Amino acid sequence: SSNGSGGPRRLSRALPFGRSHGRLGVSSSGRLIVPAPSSQEKADPQKTAFLLRKAWTLYSVTPLYRFRRGRLRDYARLLGAFIAAEKQKGLAVEVGVELDIKVALSSLADLRGSELDQDALLVQLSSRSQASSKNSEDKVVWSGWFCSVFGDDLSENVPEHFTCLPLFLTHGAESYTSLVGSWFQKTFDCCFRRLAISPLNLSWMVAMWAGCKLDRAASAVELVFSVPRLAQPLDISYAIHPEDAKALWDTVQKTPGEITQEEVDVFMDCLYAHFHRHFKIHLSAAKLVKVSTGIASAQCDGIVKILHSQYLPGVLMLLTELAISQIQ
Amino acid sequence: MDETVAEYIRRTVLKIPRDEIKMMLQKWGFLSEAQLQTLNFHQIKDSISQEVVQLCEENSADIKQAAALDIIYNHIYQNKRMWSVYEMKKSGEEVEYFDITDFKKRFKRRLQSTLKNVTITFKEYEDNAIWIRVAWGTPYKKPNQYKPSYVVYHSQTPYVFISASVLKSNLPLLCQALIGATNYHDIREMELRSHCLNSLKDIVFKRYSQNFQTHTAKPLQGEDVEPENADKRIVQENRSEKERIHRLNQEVFGTGPQPKLEFAQYKLETSFKSDPKMDVLHKKEPFRCLVKFSSPHLLESLKSLAPAGMADAPLSPLLTCIPHKARNYFKIKEKKGLYPESFVSP
Repeated sequence: SSNGSGGPRRLSRALPFGRSHGRLGVSSSGRLIVPAPSSQEKADPQKTAFLLRKAWTLYSVTPLYRFRRGRLRDYARLLGAFIAAEKQKGLAVEVGVELDIKVALSSLADLRGSELDQDALLVQLSSRSQASSKNSEDKVVWSGWFCSVFGDDLSENVPEHFTCLPLFLTHGAESYTSLVGSWFQKTFDCCFRRLAISPLNLSWMVAMWAGCKLDRAASAVELVFSVPRLAQPLDISYAIHPEDAKALWDTVQKTPGEITQEEVDVFMDCLYAHFHRHFKIHLSAAKLVKVSTGIASAQCDGIVKILHSQYLPGVLMLLTELAISQIQ
Repeated sequence: MDETVAEYIRRTVLKIPRDEIKMMLQKWGFLSEAQLQTLNFHQIKDSISQEVVQLCEENSADIKQAAALDIIYNHIYQNKRMWSVYEMKKSGEEVEYFDITDFKKRFKRRLQSTLKNVTITFKEYEDNAIWIRVAWGTPYKKPNQYKPSYVVYHSQTPYVFISASVLKSNLPLLCQALIGATNYHDIREMELRSHCLNSLKDIVFKRYSQNFQTHTAKPLQGEDVEPENADKRIVQENRSEKERIHRLNQEVFGTGPQPKLEFAQYKLETSFKSDPKMDVLHKKEPFRCLVKFSSPHLLESLKSLAPAGMADAPLSPLLTCIPHKARNYFKIKEKKGLYPESFVSP
């Protein structure tokens, strides 16, 4: 089912704080428990540093059939051969320099939420230009990783032999994404779809992230709206000082660690009202296309950037949920 | 001919779209008609520019001529650059006779007395506009011809339009030279920026159709084709609302085409006022925001918001005042007392 529209979405989570029923942006009774910022022992910041400050393109992935964790080296070899073969066929990915692509697959144990989540899977394509010497370092030209953070809704109900890693994030040329995606599709009979993020979900994100505590000077809480259907399209960027955005959210949120649809609506209505008071424009009638805070930024076409390792699990949990909604 | 001059001419020609090269070289007038005849304009641009450089070599072009070609290019493609507007201030009310030769001499002298390594080029255009190109060097380096500043001065007005190069530090020198060359004693930057130079001129010279306060009670005749509707009352109500919006829009925006701006920016330092029922933030300190509107044609876009149902009519004066306040950067503070007409923009 698509984001934000009707249809039942059961989302029960086994969280450290106890069971709750959370729905991302559906009914007014929806409630989400926000995981606390991760403590150091859970995730090694070194290992996850590569995730930060990069723009990741998001996809939902259906469960992988007969994926074996022990065969990562074999898979890497097969994927490498597939890419080489496709290049021979003339589906060259890079114009000019002849690149020798090396494939590496690895597991990331730190990127999961519950006991049911599988370890994340990282795919990296590196190139060593044939012109350069043997000692030159490989350069990573494309990265993609599959993960599941509190994706219990999917994992709980999966039949045998299936591995659930519903969220796929890529960084690098689209042509490589295509190649890697095709190989996984063929090999594990799964299906990839670009993840769209609706204005409703973007508003959840900005409300959640605006409320997060950041120790040092944070960047503004920015909402970008688009009014495309005019003769001359209009974009509106509405950026709020992070302290003031947090102060507003703190008076809206009733229970710490818990967010409801109603609270998100009130927060957004406050922002719309403040805007209307000045400009007499109904911002609620425009399309929210991007939100950006000191924690992370997200765009409606499914591109995110995570800036703070402390809140990584929370962001990934949200995105996992969106991916699962898109699959179901 | 100096190698650097040759290279500069070559690169300038390369920037020009192929089917405009001949026209621009003719405007330039440095190569004779006979020389232009020898050029093959149907080959690739790389070759055309090489041939042009050859001909310039024959004529012994120097940096002055090369700079003149650059002005011509930038005059035609003026909208590729971002322009800021400056206003000069006079102490007295005297209207002086403007002597262009005197202006150029004083400008050059003023600038060169501070910085020897500059290339200064002038070109006059029909609309009383004087274009000045300045390439900047340092006491130890020759001027960088690839990052010049452009100044457009309309001598009958106190306004100067500047497209500065990346080196912002040269702006004060430029400003001082302008004051020194004219009889103004001060210059300040206005909060007005755009790519469209003509629109900036329209705004400061008040050449656009302005809002008029007359209320025309005359309803629109036959402009919209009303759809067939059984209930005549609904149609009438829609129509009168549409007319009301149209009329109010005309009052604030005027009937003519709007000057072309690409953005407007508002720094809001007003307080957050909420509905007391909502039990949310209510404090005296400002709710600090930065709002930026962008569009290929901002004012036309804003004008279409109310008819599209996206905004109230009349639109907020914060937006409609842009042309007549001649600014698109604002800082808005709360005025003590009245609400909602309570915004002060310094």
